[in-house]
Amino acid sequence: MDRFRTVALVVGLAVAITLALSIAPATSQAPKSGGILNVWHRENPPSLSIHEEGTISTVLPMSACYNNLVLFDPLKKQESEATIIPELAEKWSWQDGGRTLVFFLRKDVKWHDGQLFTSKDVKYTFDVVRAAPDAPAKLRVNPRKDWYANVVSIDAPDPYTVVFRLKRPQPSLLMMLASGYSPVYPSHVPPAEIRNRCVGTGPFKVKEYRQGEVLELAKNPDYFVKGRPYLDGIRYIIIKERGTAVAAIQAGRIDVGFPGEVSKAASESLKAAVPQLVVTPIGQNVNDNLIMNIKKPPFDNVKVRRAISLAVDRRAYIKAVHQGGALPGASMAPKPFGVWGLLEADLNKLPGYGDPAKDKAEARKLLTEVGFGPGKPLRVEMQTRAIAIYVDFSSFVIDQLKQVGVEAALKQIETGVWHPMVTRRDYLMGTNLTGIGPDDPDANFYENYRCGSPRNYTDYCSEQADAMMDRQSQELDPKKRLQLVWEVQRKLEEEAARPIMGWRVDYFTHWPHVKNLVPHQSIYNYWRMQEVWLDK
Amino acid sequence: MVTTEGIELTLPAGVTLPRAGLGALLWRFCRKKPLGAVGGLLMVVMVVTAVLATVLATHDPIRTDANRTLARPAGDHWLGTDHLGRDIYSRIVHGAQVSLVVGLASTLLGSVLGGIIGLLSGYLGGKTDLITQRVMDILQGMPLLVLALVMSAALGPSIPNVIIAISVPIIPRAARVIRSSVLSIREMQYIEAARGLGVGHLRIAFRHILPNTVGPFIVLGTAQLGSAILVEATLSFLGLGVPEPSPSWGRMLAVSASEYAQKAPHLVLFPGFAISLAVFGSNLLGDALRDTLDPRLRGA
Repeated sequence: MDRFRTVALVVGLAVAITLALSIAPATSQAPKSGGILNVWHRENPPSLSIHEEGTISTVLPMSACYNNLVLFDPLKKQESEATIIPELAEKWSWQDGGRTLVFFLRKDVKWHDGQLFTSKDVKYTFDVVRAAPDAPAKLRVNPRKDWYANVVSIDAPDPYTVVFRLKRPQPSLLMMLASGYSPVYPSHVPPAEIRNRCVGTGPFKVKEYRQGEVLELAKNPDYFVKGRPYLDGIRYIIIKERGTAVAAIQAGRIDVGFPGEVSKAASESLKAAVPQLVVTPIGQNVNDNLIMNIKKPPFDNVKVRRAISLAVDRRAYIKAVHQGGALPGASMAPKPFGVWGLLEADLNKLPGYGDPAKDKAEARKLLTEVGFGPGKPLRVEMQTRAIAIYVDFSSFVIDQLKQVGVEAALKQIETGVWHPMVTRRDYLMGTNLTGIGPDDPDANFYENYRCGSPRNYTDYCSEQADAMMDRQSQELDPKKRLQLVWEVQRKLEEEAARPIMGWRVDYFTHWPHVKNLVPHQSIYNYWRMQEVWLDK
Repeated sequence: MVTTEGIELTLPAGVTLPRAGLGALLWRFCRKKPLGAVGGLLMVVMVVTAVLATVLATHDPIRTDANRTLARPAGDHWLGTDHLGRDIYSRIVHGAQVSLVVGLASTLLGSVLGGIIGLLSGYLGGKTDLITQRVMDILQGMPLLVLALVMSAALGPSIPNVIIAISVPIIPRAARVIRSSVLSIREMQYIEAARGLGVGHLRIAFRHILPNTVGPFIVLGTAQLGSAILVEATLSFLGLGVPEPSPSWGRMLAVSASEYAQKAPHLVLFPGFAISLAVFGSNLLGDALRDTLDPRLRGA
C-alpha cells in the first residue's frame, strides 16, 4: 500500500510539474535568437538623421542604429523619470542643487565603423543640437534646439565623463535625454553624411535602403550588450497605402504595424479576421492641431485665430475622424495615458469644447468684427501632408470652417517638402500632427510654443507665456508644477496659439510571435529593438 | 415640288421625301442600335445628374456628421454615409459633376489639340508630317494611365491639372485619327478644284477638309470619354486627382474606403457602380456612333 502511495505521489508530482511548465506565462519563456522582423513603414523617411527631423518616419527605423545616454525602459509602458535606465551612460548624478548633471560613460562601446566611443562624441552631439556658439558643426534643420536652451555648457573632463551645466535647475532634462529624439552622434562623421547613412553604436546597422521599398537593418555583432540583439535583422517595409498595409498585416507578411497608422476601425477589422493578433490601445503623445501663420494676416489677429478654434467641434472631431479612437485635450496629453493634461472641467471652458452651436455663433461674430462675413468670406489655402490620416483630418476641419463662413481649399504636400516648408513658415494655414518625444512639459512647450523655436511653426510669441514656461520648468514640487503647467495650457488655447483638435490613441498591432516589443505612451521611445525576439 | 436654286424638280406622284426630324433620327438609332441607346440614356442620366447636382443632392456633399458615421443605407441617407458621416448619395451626385467636367474637358481639349495637329500634319505632309508623327509615336508609346500619372504627379492635384494630365495622352490618338481622314480627303477632286481656284491652304484645311472629319471626331470623342472618366477615377484613387474634400468617385473608393470596406461595403459599392455605369454607357454609345457614322461599318 505504501509502495502504491509512493508511486501515486511521484506520478502526481510529475503531472503537476508538466502542467505548471506548460501553462507558464509567455513572458517567462527564454528569448530565442535569430529571425528577421518585418515592420510596416508608412513612407520614405525624409532623411536618416534623427536630430534633423521631426517625424516618427525617421525615428522609428533609425532608433535601432543608435544609443542614448539614458533611455526609457523599453519593457515598461508608462514612461516617467523612475523608468529611465542607463544606456551609453552607466550612471548619472545631479549636483549643485540641480544645476549640474554628470554622466559616467561605458568604456566598452564602439561605433559601427570601429572607432571608440568617448565623451567627446556626447559633447559634440549636444553642442551641435543646442547650436552652441563654438559647436564644431551645424545641423541643416534643428527642430529641438530649444530643448537645451537651459544648458550653459557641456564639459568632457575625461574620455568617460560628461558634465551638463545648467542656468537653473531643470528636472525635465533627463526626460528629454531619454527620448528617441536624443541619440548620440559620432563626432567623426559630418551631419550631412548622417542624412544618408548611419554610423551609430546601436544594436543594428543599416544594410540596405531602397526608397519606396525597404529599409533593411542587420544585427551589429560587436554590440556592447552581450547576447543582444536577439534578431538577425529588421526589414522596415515601405507601404504608403494604408489599406494595402493592413492587408499585409492580416496576411502575415508584416509582423508589426506602424504606430498610429492602424486606426480603431482597422484594428477592429484585423482582430475580427485574425483573432490571435495582439492589439494594444495606448497613447501616442501625438496631437492633431491647426497651425496658422501668426506672422501673416489675417492670422496675426487673435480674433481670427480664436474664431477658427471656436469653429471646430472637438468632440465631433474625435467621433468622426477617429471613430472615437482619440481623446480630447489641450497642449499636454490627457489622462489616462498622459500625466500633465487639463482636467475635463477646465477643457469644457476652452474654445471648441463647449456647446458647438454657441461656439460657432461666437466664431461668426468674431469674424464679422474683423470684416469677414457672408459677402466677404475668409478664403484660405489649407496645407497638409499627403497621408491618409492628415487628409481625413483636413476634410473634417474644412467642413467645420465652412459652417462659420471660412472657405478653405486643401493642398497636399509630400513629407519631404512639408517639414522644410513649415520650418520656413512658407504657409498660411495647415492641419498638422505634433508628436512630443517624452510626455514632459519642457519638451513640448520649449519646442512648440517658445518664441523663436524652429518647431514653433505658428510663430506664436508671448513674453508672458515664455515666463510661465520657465516658472513651471524650474518648479521642483510636482503638485505645484502641475498647476503651473495647466495655466500655460489654458493660455495657449485661449490665444489659439496652435489649437489642439485631439490626442490620438494608437491601436498598436503585432503578431503574437513578436515578443518584448512593448508600446509606450509616446510612439517615439520604444524602437531600440535590443530586447525584441521572435517566438517562431 | 422641290425648288433648288431656280431649278424645279417634280417628284413622281405618290413619292415623298423622308422627314429626317431629330425625333425620327433618334427613334431610328434606338431601333437599329438598342445597346447604343442604352449607352446614350446612361450618358443623358449622367449629364442631367451633373447639371442638376445641387437640386438632386439631399445633403451638402462635404458636410460631416459625427453621429452618423458609416451609417447603412436608410431613409435619411439613401446610400448610407462614409466614415466622416458624409452622405454617399450626395457625394456620388456631385462626383458626377467632377467626372463629367474632367471627362468632357479633357476629351475636348485633347481631341481639339490632337485634331489640329493631325489636320496640319496630314495636309502639309512632307517633313512636317514625318516629325509630327514621330513625336506622336513617342507619346502614343506610353499608356494613357502612365502618361496621365506622370503629368498629374508633376503638376499637382487640382481640377485644371487633372484635365491637362488626361488630355495630353489623348492628343496623339486624336492626331492619328484625324490625320488618316485628312490624307484621303485632301486627294479628293473638290480639294484639287479649290486649289485650282487659288483658295489658300488654311482656308482649304479648315473650311473644306476639317468639316468632313467631324464623323471620326465624334466617334473618337465618345470613345475617349469613357477612358477619361476611368483615368480621372484612377488618378483620384491614387491621390493625384481632385483634392479632398471635393467629392470624386475615384477618391471615394480610395484611402479610407479601402480600410472600412469590410465593415461598411456600401462605401465602395456605390461609387464603384457609378464609375462602371458611366464608362459602360460611354463605351456603348461610342461603339454605336462609330457603327452609324462610319459608312464602312454601317449595318455591321
